Amino acid sequence: MGAAIDLSAREDRKPLLVRIDLIAAISWGAFILILAVYWVHQVLRGDEFHRQAENNRQRSIPVTAPRGFIVDRNGVPLAENEPSFSLLLYRREASDVESSLQFVSSVTGTLLEDLRRRILRSGDGRDYLPVILEENLSVDEAAAIEAHALEHPEFVIQISERRIYKGGPIAAHLLGHLGEANPDQVQARNGRVRPGEWIGQKGVEAVYQDLLAGVSGARTFIIDSFGREVAELDRQEPLSGNTLILTIDSRLQKIAEAYFEGRVGSAVALDPKSGEILAFVSAPAYDPNLFAQRVSKDDWDAILNNEDKPLNNRLLQNVYSPGSVWKAFVAYAILMHGISPSERIPCGGGATFYGRFFRCHSHHSTVDLPTALQVSCDTYFYQMGRRLGIDVLAETADLFGFGRPTGIDAGGEKSGLVPSPKWSLAVRKHPWYPGETISVSIGQGPLLVSPLQVARALSALANSDGALPTPHVFHMAENVRTRERFLYRPPVKEQVPFDPGVREAIVEGLFRVVSRPGGTAYAVHVPGLDMCGKTGTVQVVGQKDPKKMGHLPEKLQDHAWFAGFAPKDDPRVVVVVFVENGGHGSKAAAPLAAKLMKAYLRGFPETEETHVSVTAQTEEAAPPAGSTEE
Amino acid sequence: MSRLSEVLPKRIDPGFLISVALLTAAGMAMVYSTTSGTPLAGHWGKQLIFVLSGITAAVVLVTVDYRLLLKSSPAIFLFSLLLLVYLPVFGTRIAGAKSWIKLPGGFSLQPSEFVKISTALLIAWILENDDRTFLSRKTGLLILAAVGVPVALILLQPDLGVALTYVPLAVTGLFLGGLRLRWWVLSAVLAVVFVGSSWFFLKEYQKDRIRTFLDPDLAARGAGYQVRQARIAIGSGRIFGKGFKKGTQSRLGFLPVRHTDFVFAALAEEQGFVGVAGIVGLYGLFLSRGFAIARDARDRGGSILVLLIVIDIVVQALVNIAMNVGILPTTGITLPFISYGGSSMLACWAMAGLCLSVSYRRFVNV
Repeated sequence: MGAAIDLSAREDRKPLLVRIDLIAAISWGAFILILAVYWVHQVLRGDEFHRQAENNRQRSIPVTAPRGFIVDRNGVPLAENEPSFSLLLYRREASDVESSLQFVSSVTGTLLEDLRRRILRSGDGRDYLPVILEENLSVDEAAAIEAHALEHPEFVIQISERRIYKGGPIAAHLLGHLGEANPDQVQARNGRVRPGEWIGQKGVEAVYQDLLAGVSGARTFIIDSFGREVAELDRQEPLSGNTLILTIDSRLQKIAEAYFEGRVGSAVALDPKSGEILAFVSAPAYDPNLFAQRVSKDDWDAILNNEDKPLNNRLLQNVYSPGSVWKAFVAYAILMHGISPSERIPCGGGATFYGRFFRCHSHHSTVDLPTALQVSCDTYFYQMGRRLGIDVLAETADLFGFGRPTGIDAGGEKSGLVPSPKWSLAVRKHPWYPGETISVSIGQGPLLVSPLQVARALSALANSDGALPTPHVFHMAENVRTRERFLYRPPVKEQVPFDPGVREAIVEGLFRVVSRPGGTAYAVHVPGLDMCGKTGTVQVVGQKDPKKMGHLPEKLQDHAWFAGFAPKDDPRVVVVVFVENGGHGSKAAAPLAAKLMKAYLRGFPETEETHVSVTAQTEEAAPPAGSTEE
Repeated sequence: MSRLSEVLPKRIDPGFLISVALLTAAGMAMVYSTTSGTPLAGHWGKQLIFVLSGITAAVVLVTVDYRLLLKSSPAIFLFSLLLLVYLPVFGTRIAGAKSWIKLPGGFSLQPSEFVKISTALLIAWILENDDRTFLSRKTGLLILAAVGVPVALILLQPDLGVALTYVPLAVTGLFLGGLRLRWWVLSAVLAVVFVGSSWFFLKEYQKDRIRTFLDPDLAARGAGYQVRQARIAIGSGRIFGKGFKKGTQSRLGFLPVRHTDFVFAALAEEQGFVGVAGIVGLYGLFLSRGFAIARDARDRGGSILVLLIVIDIVVQALVNIAMNVGILPTTGITLPFISYGGSSMLACWAMAGLCLSVSYRRFVNV
């Protein structure tokens, strides 16, 4: 066979054979080059690429710990968590994003253009990252989308927890709300908070953030290129936040809030001995649930444009003239400076000081100190104020804690203002006018206090030892797993010094205000309750003669104060009520104070009512059951 | 024992056949590994059908005398061109290109893969009729036309990847025919000018591919994503690989088109450098046995036909392997015998059949 090869045919193929060898040589070079490149990738840099591949497929995400509940002193929940469903869209998985959006729109009713905007707003061209299309889906909506999982593999329902305040606006200003941590907060909390994490933004949610938040866990899992979870590798369980037990009594809170329906102002009830706050109201309130999700523009505008400014915490962040409530503390200055409580001053409907006539709201005869408090005689306090001088009044204010924060654990509070000649020169750049001393002695003029400061100061008069408590809402915290409890630790006690008999004289005056005929708040007295207190009415506009002014528009009406405590002999509760433009303190503020003190000291009527109505229902339900027996 | 069973082992080049068979087996394994348990799981069975039809085509072509095919190559060529002309008008658009003819049973054919065979036959026939040491102008132009016409039609589809696989045919044909050095220099200059100016005619996605080829990290998650993920897949296989069906990059979908254009990256991930060297070695065996067949071929036409085929397949393989690791820009070029795909598999086996036919008839007195 081999002998038959045509050698001559091979001969003229010589150039071809040379060319074949040349091509072969080039090819072998290419082979070696390719193998070298793969050698570099797989052998020399193999570990580096292997790490990258592992990073590719492993994802570790923090698992937010369940946030601790907030409950009142009796365990009634104020803030809880509930499951929340979010809808994530993986655009890469969608055959047609537009039809995916139409499907979502048909389930949730969200407008198509809103959904499109959410995709645009995610600002991410990287289509393998999910877009949060909907938040807070209802269980039904989540189920409807899950039911179409086969046709719509591009959707993933994410379950998380969100904060819910079942009481709506109840104690809104005290509780505060959550919001996404902003860059400043992330930096300030130095690693304990991740960007975008929901943290307390106001109220006790913010003050006790660390206690409520718990410790995040972490989950490591394998993902595919769509970022979908394929399998879990590792799991570190989060540690739940502590339950925060507040000093608030929600029964008292509800009575107070109900009273403020349609009114603007604030109210506080506290235990004078411990400083525990029992009720904490600022009205109008807002629904903190609005902040548990991204706030819609309409809701946000409605809150911001409300001229009553619902976001203001009027109890600690608004400061006002104390009005006649202040006289209780001027009485302290009078008695502590050697003036007898029985010294009598003629009223005469007012008096002239420094060439100007200062009017009393009424025409009293001659009054001693308890009577001056009882009838709130301005002239008495004008005269005494002039004798004491502004420095003594300022000193007294400082003793009772005015002009500085009370130390409450519920967010930023205002200090108010205790005016003095020194302050006048430094801030107003002009000397103190002697006439201002006269105004300040009845709680007008530049003196500014917050309702909470008044409650704290009054506690020092209520406490037999003159203790000035630090108002607080923290009762205790409880570890959810170990049931270990952390109790409130009071700061160093402040005390107002009293000479013998001084406190008793003032308390007698305050007792007469409510509990003796002729007292400015006698209308609200409750027999046997021994309430003490002081009304106050603060003019919003200067009225030369109120009788000629006729009826004023609401915004120009007087602010109403009432500050009181009960019972007289061993005060257990201090209440301060402030109603903006409410009119006279005795009419607008005192009734609520009396109601709160009565409820706290005598028991809660509406719990009995509920009990009665439940019994009534059972009785009504009984006859049909009985009739079947017949 | 029939006469054929005695003769075949001596006449069919065993090294060549083994390289083709092992490459095909490796491809089947990789298609299975990258698609099982995914929505593409059915692909493995289809690939088996493609391979069996490819082997059938090869057997048929071994039995047919290739000289007959060379002689009728102009007719075959013109007939196959009809398919390409048909496509821009009636073809089925898949992935933006009208390069497919739909067949019953859910299969579709890509005629451009088969036109390559008729083009190789035509060039071999042209060069057989001009055996001067250096190429005449007429023959050179004929070769250019033989490649240029189908390439132009394929670019109309448009399918740049397949069109590029024709380039080795032209270059090999001109080189074997003996194009003079001055023409090589001139073409090199022209090529540089052409490549430079072609930038302005490229589609945006094609430009992106070149940009990301030049700097894959620049657009690590955008257009460069594929290249980057393929490199991670390859590198992470290290020396011995992650094991069959254990490639995280390919199984979890980070690796794009992992059963077709990027199947080699999947293989590199699962089988490591050892597997890479094995496959490259098999292409080396294919090349060296193919060249041996060409050297031993009975006539100039058969020799050139084998060279055209072997070089075209090897260049395509090297370009694909280089593209997988990112040293050449991404083009839609498949890995011969390994990538999933009916037309490519069928065409490759048919070309292997032609080579074996030449080998089978290397003795004059057959």
